[in-house]
Amino acid sequence: MTISIWRYSHLALALSSFILLILAAVTGVILAFQPVAEKMQPYQAEQFNSVTLAQSLPALRKAYPGISEITIDANHFVKASGSYANGKKLLAYVDPLTGRVLGIPDKKSDFFEWVTAFHRSLFLHGMGRFFVGLTAFLLLLITVSGTILIIQRQRGVKRFFTRIAKDNFAQYYHVVLGRLSLIPIIIIALSGIYLSFARFGLVSSPNKLPEIDFDAIRSEPKKKAEEFAIFKQTKLSDVESVEFPFSEDVEDYYTLKLKTGEVAVNQITGDIISDVKYPTAVLITNLSLDLHTGRANSIWAIILALASANILFFIYSGFAITLKRRANRTRNKYNVHESKFIILVGSENGNTFSFARSVHRQLIKAGEKSFLTELNRYTVFSKAEYLLVFTATYGLGDAPTNAAKFANLLAKFPQQQSLKYSVLGFGSHAYPDFCKFAFEVSNLLSHQDWAVPLIDMHTVNDRSPAEFGLWTEAWSQQAGISIEALTELHPVKAKNLEELSVTAIAHAEHESGLFTISLKAKGNLRVASGDLLVIYPENDHRERLYSIGVIGKEIRLSVRLHLGGLGSGFLNRLKPGDKIQAKIVSNTHFHFPEKASEVVMISNGTGIAPFLGMISANTGKISCHLYCGFRDKVSFERYQRFLDSNKAAGQVLSINVAISREGQREYVYNLIEKDADRIAAILGKGGVMMICGSLSMQKDVMELLETICQTRTNKSLSFYQSHDQIRTDCY
Amino acid sequence: MSNLFKAALLVFTLTFAVPSLSHAQSTAKYKCMVQMTNYMGEGAYVVISLIDSKGAYEKTLYVMGPDKKWYSSLKEWNASKAKKQANISAITGASVTGGDRSVNVIEIQNSKINAGYKLRFESAVEDKVYHVKDLEIPLTTATLSAKSEGTGYIRYVRFSAN
Repeated sequence: MTISIWRYSHLALALSSFILLILAAVTGVILAFQPVAEKMQPYQAEQFNSVTLAQSLPALRKAYPGISEITIDANHFVKASGSYANGKKLLAYVDPLTGRVLGIPDKKSDFFEWVTAFHRSLFLHGMGRFFVGLTAFLLLLITVSGTILIIQRQRGVKRFFTRIAKDNFAQYYHVVLGRLSLIPIIIIALSGIYLSFARFGLVSSPNKLPEIDFDAIRSEPKKKAEEFAIFKQTKLSDVESVEFPFSEDVEDYYTLKLKTGEVAVNQITGDIISDVKYPTAVLITNLSLDLHTGRANSIWAIILALASANILFFIYSGFAITLKRRANRTRNKYNVHESKFIILVGSENGNTFSFARSVHRQLIKAGEKSFLTELNRYTVFSKAEYLLVFTATYGLGDAPTNAAKFANLLAKFPQQQSLKYSVLGFGSHAYPDFCKFAFEVSNLLSHQDWAVPLIDMHTVNDRSPAEFGLWTEAWSQQAGISIEALTELHPVKAKNLEELSVTAIAHAEHESGLFTISLKAKGNLRVASGDLLVIYPENDHRERLYSIGVIGKEIRLSVRLHLGGLGSGFLNRLKPGDKIQAKIVSNTHFHFPEKASEVVMISNGTGIAPFLGMISANTGKISCHLYCGFRDKVSFERYQRFLDSNKAAGQVLSINVAISREGQREYVYNLIEKDADRIAAILGKGGVMMICGSLSMQKDVMELLETICQTRTNKSLSFYQSHDQIRTDCY
Repeated sequence: MSNLFKAALLVFTLTFAVPSLSHAQSTAKYKCMVQMTNYMGEGAYVVISLIDSKGAYEKTLYVMGPDKKWYSSLKEWNASKAKKQANISAITGASVTGGDRSVNVIEIQNSKINAGYKLRFESAVEDKVYHVKDLEIPLTTATLSAKSEGTGYIRYVRFSAN
């Protein structure tokens, strides 16, 4: 499958650097604990932050005449070095006011030294440092490409921190943690790169030594060190180190190494004899060290450790995602020109492929010639009879990368024979544009002369096995080939059949007439109007699906009797009191929208069944309009009294009936055409259209709605479809 | 204080203090300051050695650089050290970075001064040139009170009696 340039770069960069990244990240996690461990030592003087050099330096020099230097490290420990009066070596953490020894510096831990050396150069000296620097650079590029991928995925910079749809563990946490550790990782990478540059002398200009004009050094007026202005102004916390005068000679001076520069101070008069500011490069190097090592702040050090640990997780999850995606590449057994079944897939990250492949395999196993490819490979399929489109939607309702060319290809390659197509959209209601691209594909196909819909378009939310099962059932029934829901993705549960008993049956008036049947379960059933009832008339794999209308506590089905019909014949033969085994499949996308401002119900024939239940349950009195079509008046009269009483109760506002074979010979879409303004207004304010009935009715109504949308609402039909404002359940 | 401890202290004093006292009479301690140039790179390892009149290593006086791993980069000194084992842990300190100074105390036998001996400052920096004689000066009363310029990473060296 094709992948976008950013994803390709992200992967290529990760592949080229992952071994070095693992080494650097593991050692980085360990090293982050060095500053944490050091700061736990109790060597910081209590009043440290308020002590000035005027208070501290004379006191220390008095306590230790042989002191040569004090250094203040990132932990605010004051380390004195030099020699005791007896010539013994002085090296201790001291109290800056009294010189009292607070602790003796440990020799730097061999372990941390070893790990640090490895982290810097992999024990390879200059070459190793180059590779580590390069790794930091690659890490920066990986982070940048990853950021762009997140922006693409979240459909815009502004939505960068909005919710992420949970696909699978590796993918979800790769993105979630990626967002969280983005800033620390960028900082680690940038500071690492800078330190490498500094190491190779590419940015740093050398420190200037204080330029001392020895002829200008005065030995008058004498002052006490406590009185030196510069010592009074400077706090110990602003200083990195102080070098004491090497001897009492006037030409020996104090050197104060501040965070920003070096100051030399005459030890007799307190005059500033040199003041050198560090070049910016040195300041940036120090900042980079602070940021890269966490030496200045334990909390930051812990954040760095977490970010480094995340890098390890990214390597793991990144490979998990890649392997999964690669596993989706399929080899076709039959070629494109000999296959009867063509499965086209639009998938951004490969999830949709696993569904398509399962169907593909089952077709091959059933001895059929099936060809699986991506939507971008659409061409003329000379022997094809069935076209199956499985597609996800990417970004802001866009086509996945491997389906982007489909619309153009479809126009370019009309099929020579008629194909029975079925579109299955994969998506998540977590995104506002649910399955938008799938709806577009479905609409595009419906305009092709050669394309005949085999079943209504289906959608699968969050890879729901139940919704995919719904499609497989519908498709296998129409195609006459048994396909099961993915066994490898989710094991089939024991079929939980319900025992239903027939409470009433109103038989058909004539051989192809409508009849209604009422069923009741023993206990309480979780069922709503719009759900589907699956029956097994012959107790074999053959199943038949009917839309359920729930009226009171009963399931009411409306069925057209077909001559020799397997399901309708079976149902028509039932008598009150008979018991049947059946399964109820929840079909939530066709449930009554409790929160909609207004609902328009469009049906023909037996498609009225779920609407009857919905209207009878509409006690909240949401504005409902029913548009129903029948062949003859007799069929409608069956429901008339029921509907009239509901209308009187305000549960349905208008009932519009079209009779196609008597009187004015109208179809249901003629009624809608007349009320186009009302329909457009309802859609515009967020109302919902529900369509149930035959596919041919659906096709006509959808075409009409498309025109209404374009001429009266300025939005395309697929916009409303993806916002769940157009719901269909047709057969 | 227990008697046992007193006894132990006495033994200790007799064993160690007496010989070291007599020894101390013939040596003097000097503060030695090594001021580095502004070279770019890692901290330098610097060794101060006493060299006899034939140019051979007589004694190591100080080692600036704690990690034995890098001692091999100070080639000449390291070779002599291999022949003559000596415990240098008491005279070992931190390495010195470019632009910094290092002040340490070295101990020199009075008999070696003005007697044809030399002081050698040998320096090495990771991935950079090694200087066998960054600075080599005759060990005389005059040099011990003057400032001596280095030729490599060392800018100058100064001494002061401790």
